[in-house]
Amino acid sequence: MISIAIPTGVLLEGSLGLLRRSGAADLDREEIGRKLLVDRGGLRVVLVRPADVPAYVDFGAADLGVAGKDSLWESPGSHYELVDLGFGACTLVLAVPAGSPITGAPETWPSTMRIATKYPAATQGHMRGLGQAVEVVRLHGSVELAPLVGLADAIVDLTASGRTLRENRLRVVAEVGRSTARLIANQASLKTRTTAIGELVARLRGAVR
Amino acid sequence: MPDLGGERAPGAPGRDVQGFRDLLPEEAEAMRATQEAVLAEMRRWGYRYVVTPTLESLDVLELGLGPEQRRRLFKLSDGDGSLLAVVGERTVPVARLAAGRLRTAELPLRLCYAGPVLTNDPGRFTRRREMHQVGAELVGASGAAADAEVIAMAVRCLDASGLRGYQVDVGHAEFFWGLLDGLAVPPHIRAGIKAALARRDFVALESLLASTPLRSAEHELLLRFPALRGGVEILEAAGALVQNRRSERALAELARVHGLLQAHGLGAAVSLDLGAIRDFDYYTGVIFEGYGPDLGRPLAQGGRYDGLLGRFGRPAPATGFVLHLDLVGELLQRSADAPQLTRLDAAVAWSGPGLEAALGLGGSLRMFGMRAVVDTRARSLAAARSWRRAVGATHLLHVAGAGAVDWVAGAEPRRRLGSEEVVSALAGSGAGR
Repeated sequence: MISIAIPTGVLLEGSLGLLRRSGAADLDREEIGRKLLVDRGGLRVVLVRPADVPAYVDFGAADLGVAGKDSLWESPGSHYELVDLGFGACTLVLAVPAGSPITGAPETWPSTMRIATKYPAATQGHMRGLGQAVEVVRLHGSVELAPLVGLADAIVDLTASGRTLRENRLRVVAEVGRSTARLIANQASLKTRTTAIGELVARLRGAVR
Repeated sequence: MPDLGGERAPGAPGRDVQGFRDLLPEEAEAMRATQEAVLAEMRRWGYRYVVTPTLESLDVLELGLGPEQRRRLFKLSDGDGSLLAVVGERTVPVARLAAGRLRTAELPLRLCYAGPVLTNDPGRFTRRREMHQVGAELVGASGAAADAEVIAMAVRCLDASGLRGYQVDVGHAEFFWGLLDGLAVPPHIRAGIKAALARRDFVALESLLASTPLRSAEHELLLRFPALRGGVEILEAAGALVQNRRSERALAELARVHGLLQAHGLGAAVSLDLGAIRDFDYYTGVIFEGYGPDLGRPLAQGGRYDGLLGRFGRPAPATGFVLHLDLVGELLQRSADAPQLTRLDAAVAWSGPGLEAALGLGGSLRMFGMRAVVDTRARSLAAARSWRRAVGATHLLHVAGAGAVDWVAGAEPRRRLGSEEVVSALAGSGAGR
């Protein structure tokens, strides 16, 4: 049996839609949310937290997984990243309080910028590429608060519409990365069950809108 | 010290270093048995055993490793300030040895080794930083016969370990480089393609290839990279699509190696994988990986590295492989094929004046190759029955005085025999084998 790990949260609806359109499995939100693990038509679907999808796939507990690119930035692993699934689009941005002197022009940036984020690896990688020294404060939620109370000069956070940023009077100064949902695969699964996995991947690819 | 009521706060320092662990007898003995079985197989192929040091000069290891592997080394400084590293694999040290102390030895050299290696991978999912490996290197032989020898030996080593249901994928490092050469793209795109493939990121690869104006059959091959696997027929299919000499040569070499593997008697266990991507930079030719059933990572990895010896001043072709004992052990433990290791053949208990006779009996049993423990204190026969269960012995022997021995095998009633009769009965029962 082939198994696929799909994430709770904003990518769940898109993942279920993809499985349905591809004909791989017809599951509704309530059923998978209640059981967490459903076997249907030769496919095992496992529901896990978004950040845990790469762990399930890298260790081979799931052959395939649907993961936001944002979670792959933070945990580069040994999986294959096969298909851009298109849904769950969002942008990782650098944002500052409305009154901050920091703008998109690097000459307005402090020599070392303190940045609060849930994405330390992506933040450090991007800023190093620009030659900007940073001090990264890793937070686990409500990142928008950090610059308002003086914890950080700026934040790096995901935004889909920009509404939360505006509500907290934050201004976007630069784009750090773009994320969509990706189909990832365990390296050994691809090698040991090439045909079965290949067929499912082709069906999922064909169902991408 | 504050009293934590016997509990330790999560993350507080414990006695174990993260990523390192003890192996208890069951697991340690199983791993040792696998290692011995694999080394014995290598010996049958004419490979001589060598031991290289745990620590090497960082300069030496850096000659062979790419930036990613260098980053993962455990490093420390010597008294004179020079930098040392704990070995993270032993192909590079064996290459140093073959080009150094063994430089006057005639080629080809067949060498094998075993031991722990350390990686300091800060990756989130790395649970273990110490891994146990057995490996072999064939130094100074080029060509398909040498490649096939090492692959065939790797398959026989997997057999010897007791594993069943494994598979070995054979590919060629040059196939990919040829495709990359063949693409008419600017250098920065070429670098991007290489980086994306190294990350196994086919989404990035696809968008890089889409940005190039010239689309060829070779584009398609790169995009289908993870699925370029199968029997000998894929060589022909790929041959019809490639248009560069480097990839064509790689396909021809793979065809020869595949033919020789048939002659080695390996059919079903071997597949061809043109999409093999390997982390180590030193591979130059035929490469291969072994996979077990339902294990997310390769059990065995190897291939040709013709450039490495030259970096140590003795240019020579070479190929070899390494088997990851921890992963083999994990699979054996899960499968029904796990070799059953008898813990103890005989528990020899004694009471009264029986100690001297018990010691003599233990010695006789060991001479016949049986594993026997002689108790360190006197015990009645009844008490000895539970002691035997605790030490896990197949037979219980109880000596109450000189001459006569009470023998209990399994749940059978005890029998009273002379000590020589007991030894020959146990030796005849197959114990100790």
